[in-house]
Amino acid sequence: MKVRKGTATIVFEIITYFLLAFGAIVCVLPFIIILSGSFTDNTTILTQGYSILPRNFTFAAYKTIFYAPKDILQAYKMTVFYTVVGTTLGLLMITLTGYVISRKEFKYRNQVSFLIYFTSIFGGGMIPWYLMYANVLNMKGSTFAIWFPALMSPFLVILMRTFIVGSVPDAITESAKIDGAGHFTIFAKIVMPVLGPGLATVGLFLALGYWNDWYRSSMFSTSSKTWELQFYLYDLLNATTALKQMSQSSSISTAQLPTESVKLAMAVVATGPVLLFYPFVQKYFVSGITVGAVKG
Amino acid sequence: MEKRMKLLPECNRFLDREIAGRKAGVLVTAIVSFINILLLFPFFGWVNVVNIPRLFAGLGITKEEAGNLFTSYSVLNLLSFVQESGEGRIGLYAMILLVIAAAVIFFNVAYVVRVVLDRKGKKGNLSLYATGRTAMLFEIILTGAAIGYVIFSNSKFGMKGFAASPIVYILFILSVISYLAVKVMEAEERALYREHGMLKEIKKNWVLFIMLLPTFIYFMINNYLPMVGVYYAFTNFNFRDGLWGSPFIGFKNFEFLLKADLFRLTRNTILYNLVFIGIGNILQIVFAIFVSQVTVKWFKKTTQTLMFMPYFVSFVILKVLVYNIFEYQYGLINNFVTSLGGGRIDFYNTPSYWPLLITLFYLWKNIGYGMVVYLATIMGIDTEYYEAAKVDGANIFQQIRYITIPLVKPTFIILLLYALGSIMKGQFELFYQMIGNNGVLYNITDILDTYVYRITMTQPLSLGLGTAAGLYQSLFGFIIVVLVNFIVKRRNPEYALF
Repeated sequence: MKVRKGTATIVFEIITYFLLAFGAIVCVLPFIIILSGSFTDNTTILTQGYSILPRNFTFAAYKTIFYAPKDILQAYKMTVFYTVVGTTLGLLMITLTGYVISRKEFKYRNQVSFLIYFTSIFGGGMIPWYLMYANVLNMKGSTFAIWFPALMSPFLVILMRTFIVGSVPDAITESAKIDGAGHFTIFAKIVMPVLGPGLATVGLFLALGYWNDWYRSSMFSTSSKTWELQFYLYDLLNATTALKQMSQSSSISTAQLPTESVKLAMAVVATGPVLLFYPFVQKYFVSGITVGAVKG
Repeated sequence: MEKRMKLLPECNRFLDREIAGRKAGVLVTAIVSFINILLLFPFFGWVNVVNIPRLFAGLGITKEEAGNLFTSYSVLNLLSFVQESGEGRIGLYAMILLVIAAAVIFFNVAYVVRVVLDRKGKKGNLSLYATGRTAMLFEIILTGAAIGYVIFSNSKFGMKGFAASPIVYILFILSVISYLAVKVMEAEERALYREHGMLKEIKKNWVLFIMLLPTFIYFMINNYLPMVGVYYAFTNFNFRDGLWGSPFIGFKNFEFLLKADLFRLTRNTILYNLVFIGIGNILQIVFAIFVSQVTVKWFKKTTQTLMFMPYFVSFVILKVLVYNIFEYQYGLINNFVTSLGGGRIDFYNTPSYWPLLITLFYLWKNIGYGMVVYLATIMGIDTEYYEAAKVDGANIFQQIRYITIPLVKPTFIILLLYALGSIMKGQFELFYQMIGNNGVLYNITDILDTYVYRITMTQPLSLGLGTAAGLYQSLFGFIIVVLVNFIVKRRNPEYALF
């Protein structure tokens, strides 16, 4: 049965489309400003300020970055290393934990879940945490202190448990057990193969966290060799020392150095991979957030 | 279990005897519990100072300070000794004793109360025995640790200044016996309900325990062991004396915080969070409703994708943005204002702009995230409701008012509870990247997290103070979570967090 649209509905739809378009533009506009700024000549920025569309289009900023790419390549390399190691190890540990606390025959599953959840409502605070890595474990300056602290989170463990409970019926694991399969066999041969979306979701959350982190570098790095990409960018914004070093090693004179636009170009280079992958992996984040919010 | 019962027939016979309607074993252990609670009171000394001159020499206590020292201490007031003597190295030990003593009081009171109330659970007395066993275990640990404290302090300072009072030894023996008694009673009850103990569980599911091992190590290092470090909140922390040797100063850090920054930091943290929660959720719901109403597929997908995008960039990028837009010389806004003939606005030196700006950028970053949650809820609503409403002549506003909003409410409440639970946790990255170390703006933009971070990074001599601020934040937040959860559980258990 077809019902005719009333005036109220039509008015509402117009408002809807208008506000949504407005919201989307507001959300995306800052990215455009950064992008166009990175293609703008630095003197134009200094004299006329930032703008939405690039004026005096130039690749100068990118040229400066890739003229002496040693530092940024190092930061890229380290970030990829942290992301790969952290995501792989974290995913394995989270999946194993999710498997264990979803086993009905495991007597302490509720206690273990609670101990994991408890860490999200109470903690010793930042300073004891910092001293634990820096002074007790003596890990200041190591790469360990950067990838280890973000391996797991209560949210992701609970999310993984929800995925496992949802995708592996008890009957299947029960029958496997009757056939003599041990927990490792069940985990590897039965749970892992059907856990694709769960692994993708949790893995992407981990990877995003590693890629976007600057905080642990700011606390634990003692030399720029172990810096994360975002911290490299952060440092660049705060002090232009890195830039000056770059100009010393290359032959660009400081007067012509496109500082402002280089910052923006660096921001584009640092965020590029995330935004490039984003449209393809968005659905996993959506599923993760939805599942996580409902089941908590 | 069978073997042990044969070994202890006398013991079993005694435990099973009925006295005044209760099994003798339960009664006796409850009495031990009660005695233990009594003996924890400060007027029963657990640690005695026996050799005062040697102690003074060992710790370097002056005559004036000595006047404030007692000659015997219970585990509850031992810290006052540490504070008077200014000796940090035994402070942590005394603090741990205090925490264990608190646990002992808690579990023993729980045990005695449960024995008196005499309620049976789903599995008979099993949970009662579990409480009793835990209480006795903590008693053993406490008395053992008190003896250990004496040995530790004496050897640490090369003297014979301390002695454990006989009470401690008696309690130690009593609690070991009671522990075993509860175990024996529990074994019987377990056999009845086919429940098994921890050892048997480990034997049966050892593979699962191995699977949990990395997780256990991770949470120990990252979360549980650092909790011991809250002790720094009570010291005048400095690296010179080592991690545990800094002078113990009691609540002085908290007093200082209370006088200086605590009110401002708490106010900022809570107010910002309330604004974020309120405006954030409303806008998320509004936009989720909008998106759900769109029928053109590409438009729906594109707007959703674009609005979710800011969630994926790091806060450093946000810093770049904020700088580009609000910078004094070249910023987008000042650029625009001057082109219209207006004067430049000095955002970075004017605090009053920033609450609004921080809120705006919070919304920019988080609208998409919450929208996803609400959109999923709205998409889950049965379309038949809307069909029926349309047939009855309801317009779009009425449909939203009477169908969508009531059905979104449960999700809203759950998200609200989560948010309230973490109301003491600030959006650290947002604030730090937007404000950074710009002292001009601190008064209305400094939150607890940024305050502690600054201390950690730049003021090593104030680490004790920072730990105190962190502990205050953690405890306050924890109490709020528990309170919110308690209230929710009573009104509607479905929404309870745990």
